Amino acid sequence: MKMDRRLLINFDWVFLGEVFLISAIGILNIYSAGHNLYVRGEPLYTKQIYWLLVGLVLMVITFSVDYHTIIRHAYLIYLISVALLFLVSLYGDITHGSQRWLVLWGFSFQPSELMKLVLIIVLARYFSDNPQEGYHLGNSLILLAIVGVPSYLIARQPDLGTALFLVVLFLSIVVFVGVGWKVLVSFVAGGVMLTPLCWFILKDYQKERILTFLDPERDPLGTGYHIIQSIIAVGSGSLWGKGFLKGTQTQLKFLPEQQTDFAFSVFAEEWGFVGALVLMFIFLALILWSLNIARNSRDLPGALLAFGVTMFVFWGIFINIGMVLGIFPVVGIPLPFFSYGGSSMVVLMMGAGLLLNVSMRRFMLQP
Amino acid sequence: MFGNRDCLTDYDPRESRNKIRVFIWLVSCAFLLLVVRLGYLQVFRGDELRQRSEDNRIRVQEVKPLRGLIVDTHGNILVDNQPSFDISIIPEIAKDVEAVKNKLTNLCDWVEGVLSFKKVSQPSGRPFVPVRVGRNIGRNKLAAVETHSLDLPGVIVDVVPVREYLYGDMMAHILGYVGEISLSELGGGVYAGYRADDMVGKYGIEKFLDGYLKGKSGGEQVEVDAAGRRLNILGRIVSVSGYNVVLNIDSDLQKICWDAFQAEAGTVVVMDPRTGAVMAMVSRPSFDPNLFNRGISGENWKGLTTNPLCPLQNRAISGQYPPGSTYKLIVAAAALEEGLITENTEISCDGTYQMGNRVFRCWKKGGHGAVDLHRAIVESCDVYFYHLGEMLGVDKLAEYATKFGFGSKTGISLPGERDGLVPTKEWKLRRFREPWQKGETTSLSIGQGFTLVTPLQLLRAYCAVANGGTLYKPRLVKRIETADGQTVGDFTPEAEGMIPISKKNIDILKHALWGAVNEPHGTGWALKREEKDVCGKTGTSQVIRLPDDEEDQKSEIRYRFRDHALFVCFAPCEDPVVAVMVIVEHGGHGGSASAPIARRIVDGYFNLEQERRMR
Repeated sequence: MKMDRRLLINFDWVFLGEVFLISAIGILNIYSAGHNLYVRGEPLYTKQIYWLLVGLVLMVITFSVDYHTIIRHAYLIYLISVALLFLVSLYGDITHGSQRWLVLWGFSFQPSELMKLVLIIVLARYFSDNPQEGYHLGNSLILLAIVGVPSYLIARQPDLGTALFLVVLFLSIVVFVGVGWKVLVSFVAGGVMLTPLCWFILKDYQKERILTFLDPERDPLGTGYHIIQSIIAVGSGSLWGKGFLKGTQTQLKFLPEQQTDFAFSVFAEEWGFVGALVLMFIFLALILWSLNIARNSRDLPGALLAFGVTMFVFWGIFINIGMVLGIFPVVGIPLPFFSYGGSSMVVLMMGAGLLLNVSMRRFMLQP
Repeated sequence: MFGNRDCLTDYDPRESRNKIRVFIWLVSCAFLLLVVRLGYLQVFRGDELRQRSEDNRIRVQEVKPLRGLIVDTHGNILVDNQPSFDISIIPEIAKDVEAVKNKLTNLCDWVEGVLSFKKVSQPSGRPFVPVRVGRNIGRNKLAAVETHSLDLPGVIVDVVPVREYLYGDMMAHILGYVGEISLSELGGGVYAGYRADDMVGKYGIEKFLDGYLKGKSGGEQVEVDAAGRRLNILGRIVSVSGYNVVLNIDSDLQKICWDAFQAEAGTVVVMDPRTGAVMAMVSRPSFDPNLFNRGISGENWKGLTTNPLCPLQNRAISGQYPPGSTYKLIVAAAALEEGLITENTEISCDGTYQMGNRVFRCWKKGGHGAVDLHRAIVESCDVYFYHLGEMLGVDKLAEYATKFGFGSKTGISLPGERDGLVPTKEWKLRRFREPWQKGETTSLSIGQGFTLVTPLQLLRAYCAVANGGTLYKPRLVKRIETADGQTVGDFTPEAEGMIPISKKNIDILKHALWGAVNEPHGTGWALKREEKDVCGKTGTSQVIRLPDDEEDQKSEIRYRFRDHALFVCFAPCEDPVVAVMVIVEHGGHGGSASAPIARRIVDGYFNLEQERRMR
């Protein structure tokens, strides 16, 4: 690894600025959400600052190493991550009825979050190795295994949301690579055929969530409660919002999970349509900027990595906000850089590191 | 090997760029979708959802007023308010209502049904509103709930005032009881403005004066959090306590009456003949109105309603009895006033009286011989009055009876009063489509037959004779006051009219009533006090007519066929201050069953007066 002066010149300060801007707004928002909440020990917004700093360190490491080196070790990284998922299923901490956490040296960590990023790396490697392979139906079995094993392990935790997220991420990359329509159709057809099967695999609470998504008022006290209270919170923000620290849904705790999955509801309630629109604009700018990094990459692995991470962030935004606004069922997908969550924040910062990595090395590979 | 430059040469950035252009469009569309949805919720539905968030946080809580007290004429409290504890559940916090329900039930050994979770499962329009599941839990259960409050999420305890009837069954029929307003009452005109869940008077004074007693609800606008905790009071309308009601009842006298009357069924009423004030009113059997406060159990309620003696009936105003010989006063008054007889008119009684083909008997076998009016009343000679009845005729008798206040409600401030019955020829034709029989008039003249009176009517008629002719409206309520003692309404004596009897004739009658108690052979000898100051009349009202040969076996007659024993009296003879009516149902002869009770009451009354004067 050699540090080039050009790397510093080409460093993508705009992208980093956007990430910091969103994280800062996120921390402010977590502060508001936790304002009236009694917590033992450190309040969550300061913890989020620590996680941001930890993420920053890992981000620096991630962009310092040439992404080609990372790609070279993709399969090893992948195997380690899958192993971690195995460990979770054996020794993981159980909270709220699911086993998602690995406790290492006093720190809880979700390997499923890491898996999102690792999947991008391993797919970047696979499609770069086999630029033409995607056109063959036979190789799709390998791809299915790559995405299937971790998805299955995560679905068993059970964390259906994250498992499906991996599949969505995978499909996005597959579409980008441009596999033949036959392959794509076989994936989709297979998926459609498996859907009814899934219904039998699903746990009762998961079925309940899907039914409730279709009709939230069906069980207003149970699973429908989240959606209803979130919609009330968002809508009651109206045009100008109720003001920082003044969201009644938030401060009086009618809104559930307000620092994590429903953080956006808090923001929309307190800052209104205008504030939410500004935040959405910043998110869109981040996504478009990231897509531009992918576009400007001089080689396929770089493009794939940048595109993959962009999709990681994009689907996070789209699914989370869609869920908060009641157009998607309640799945535990955090809003990138915004929701409270250590694993999510650290992994996303590493993802940002990858994007910066690709961005700053785009002129290194002039043919 | 990956990573060398060879493999990179075949990368065509242009292809990727085209794809990314497509993705830029897709991503923008996705964001547009979110923004449209955001706009729909925040701008289009903003006001509606703002309102819903306000509904979440602001709760309007009714602040129930304290119900007015009921006190007796001397200011002794008869009905009080005591704190009781209600249990409610906020389903949104309880989450698993079934589990909380089980815990609550186990905790307090509650019988299934005492707690009602019916309303909890029904979704209410407003979230986080507590639903009451149990009323008036005892202190020990309260302690159990409070200690386990951490295991009982969403369970809250409210302090609610509840009625306490200090005299229990002694005054049940006067005071009545309260209960939760029923669905049928809710719609009605009388209860306009009442709300479901309100406690209303169901019986007695509680019902009759509910409008005064209930007070005015206040309200509080409270900010609550998701756990239902009250954070701020945003607005408040103060509740106004109900008015206090002062009764004419004298609780000491009431107790004397209650203790004096030990028979199974019957009634005692004590009135002030000078004003119509009702000083005591006992009806037996009775019930404990406190049972209703604690939400009467099905078992208790069934016991009360299926009891053949009807404990829930106030016999003083709802019981209708043939007046028996007590009615002779009215017959005598009518005959005197019509000039059909004078006090000296003598009629010979040989123990029987022939009317058509029927033979009527005097109660005294062998008869009284020649009797004048005075002796006829003193010894209660039936034959004498058979003759008077024949002279008067049914319609004349009815005319006088009506003027004595019979046949219509007295207007006492209690619900459930009955009219009684004053039969006429026209009434019989209308009722039975049959003409009047002469023998029926004969029955009427000694207070049997169709005639029905309520004890209160009878007492009032005697009071009119006692006070020299004024028919007063019986008054139970003396005064209505605000909670801080300002008079809202004062109830002064109300004369309904005068009985059409001259002073001279009234004196003749009073003297006869004095004789019935104080002269030898008088039927009311039991009231013969040292002062010889009581005037009274016995009565025995037949429940069924018995064949002659059974007369001797009266003690063996089944209870429900036995005669009612009546006694009505007033004292002292000159300027009476107290009048007492006693009916012992199926007690047999008025002289033996009712008069001793009246004696104890009259004695008790004067002792009480004396004690109070001494103090």
